[in-house]
Amino acid sequence: MLQLVVGQLLNGVIVGTLYAIIALGVTLTFGITGIVNFALGAFMMLGAYFTWYFSDGLGIPYPLAVVLATLAIALVGLVADQVLFRFTRNNLINGLIVSIGLISVIVAIVLMVWTTTPQNMHYVLPGVFRVGGVIVPKMKAVVFGVLLLVILFTYAALTRTWAGRAAYAYAQNPEAAALMGVRTKVLQAGVAAYSAALAGLGGGLYASLYSITPEIGAGYILKGVEAAILAGIGSVMGSFAGGIIIGVAEGVGSIFLPSAYNDAYGLVFLVLILLFKPAGLFAVSSR
Amino acid sequence: MKSRVSIVKAVAASLGVAALAVATGAYSQNVVKIGEIEAQTGALNTYGWMSSQGMRIAVDEINKAGGFEVAGKKYTLQLINPDTQGNPQQALIQLKTMIEEDKVKYVFGPFLTNVFKGIEGYARQHNGQFLLMGGATQIHYELGKPGNDYLVRTWNWDAGPSGFGTLMVDYLKKKGVKKVAMLMQNDAFGHVAADVYRDAFKKAGIEFQENWFEPGTKDYSAVLAKISAGSPDYLFPGYTDAVLYDIVQQATQLGLTKFWLVRGSLGPALKNKDYIDDYVAYIPKYFEEAEKSEPKVKKFVEAYKAFYKTKDFPYDQAPLCSSSCYDHVYMLVEAMKKAGTVDDVAKVKNALESFTYDGLWKIRYDQTGEEVINFDIVDVQKGGKITVTHEQPR
Repeated sequence: MLQLVVGQLLNGVIVGTLYAIIALGVTLTFGITGIVNFALGAFMMLGAYFTWYFSDGLGIPYPLAVVLATLAIALVGLVADQVLFRFTRNNLINGLIVSIGLISVIVAIVLMVWTTTPQNMHYVLPGVFRVGGVIVPKMKAVVFGVLLLVILFTYAALTRTWAGRAAYAYAQNPEAAALMGVRTKVLQAGVAAYSAALAGLGGGLYASLYSITPEIGAGYILKGVEAAILAGIGSVMGSFAGGIIIGVAEGVGSIFLPSAYNDAYGLVFLVLILLFKPAGLFAVSSR
Repeated sequence: MKSRVSIVKAVAASLGVAALAVATGAYSQNVVKIGEIEAQTGALNTYGWMSSQGMRIAVDEINKAGGFEVAGKKYTLQLINPDTQGNPQQALIQLKTMIEEDKVKYVFGPFLTNVFKGIEGYARQHNGQFLLMGGATQIHYELGKPGNDYLVRTWNWDAGPSGFGTLMVDYLKKKGVKKVAMLMQNDAFGHVAADVYRDAFKKAGIEFQENWFEPGTKDYSAVLAKISAGSPDYLFPGYTDAVLYDIVQQATQLGLTKFWLVRGSLGPALKNKDYIDDYVAYIPKYFEEAEKSEPKVKKFVEAYKAFYKTKDFPYDQAPLCSSSCYDHVYMLVEAMKKAGTVDDVAKVKNALESFTYDGLWKIRYDQTGEEVINFDIVDVQKGGKITVTHEQPR
């Protein structure tokens, strides 16, 4: 039983980083630019399809395929921001409506091009690590490592660089930030493109683990938003922790409770945490 | 002068309309419309896709051969086959259009139980007006009930003395299997499968554990780890390739390397051939082998490649042509010929149940309207070595 629990703790942490990367995108776009972009799940799905197509369709080596897909999704995110989302700043309802419309368009395009038939990528890195009876697939470990590095890089960039401090300043007072020389339009576009790139990267890594279908984005944006709210919108490391809490809740919950409802276990955590900390687990008090 | 021209124009127009009406009427009298309600795309398209592929070829072949003659009159076929995408609401709209607008009397499909449940109520209201010939497992339970004369089941039943499921369980028993863990989608077919196989394994003296997952699940690690801890001899995963690829890959990573399945293709086994130990699958026909020994199968493979202008034949999907597919169109035509009518669905149904059709499969319908066919059990072992056992139900 101990092996089972430890194994699922590890698996929950790894799966949770995939939720966390989406949560990070959500927290950056909403926390910094004030834009609600639920299409990040669709961007993730698109990133998975692009990676699969570049790798299995065009024969590009997988790591390069992921990079290309990530860049392509960053571009998609930038265009979506400039054409649609920048007009929805600080307007939750408009952001939601634009997101729903954009998700429908993206899913429809994917359906037309690749149909809803699941696609399976070749095995990028088969095999497992075995440590004291606990099994971790090698590719999952790599995915965890890459995502962890990206999350730490994002945290460092936001807290240790001028651009990061400018982003926080923009989040608190856009006018004052502009008066201090921050190029707010460039900053907003950059955050939108970076958030989309995170989702695209998540999708590219996802494609190496699971089969891909047009509806995968819906589940992941739900988990990403869950993780971001659970952590408290605006907290980078909180997003990471939120994703992991949900991943672990699902993994360990499935051992002791019926596995058919494992999606609900993360939600139970979310409700419990919001009951006691309505602003989220890692939210900084405004007082 | 002006009025004479108008009269001539009016007469000419009237004659034109009349001629068109006669021509249209004559055309519609000589066309038998057949419909198909199947998922051709989507996560659950494993079964419907091949059916629609095979039906198109059969219709094309019959029409190119000049059609068929019933009671001294020549007919051709018109196939109406929209894509349900596995969505019951979509299927219901499509069936309504077929029955009410297109006046279709013969509808093939669905294979999916959830889709059948979605259209069942509407279909029953039109009992006696059309035939629904589908492979859905739930149809088995509806055959023979009052008001269900419209139903024919175009797939063989899992259970019963000569059911493929029973023979598959016997196959495991002969291997000395003591414990099987089922991992099934928590949906309509999943529960039907559990009901059927719970009894079958109990009768065979094999312990049967049930595990479920939500539709849309991609990471099965948690439930597979739990199953692995119980050390079952075989994993019985369900039930479409959409989930089987993920389950088989993740199961092998956790040390579960033996699989037994009654729905799904050999694709997941072949992709993971270096990691599995055994993958026993019910395959209605192992086309790779049959193509070499059965001329009708060889002809079908060639016809497929020519019709779809492709060098690749879908060997993994082709076995599912055993339901509402190529043979079934030919069989329906034979039944209409025997019945001497294309309109009287009751007579056509009686005729359908009166003979054995010798096509890609030897197909007959039992007294309840359920298909009985020969099939194969395919056993894939580590490295991809394949053993085929041919079964001919009584």
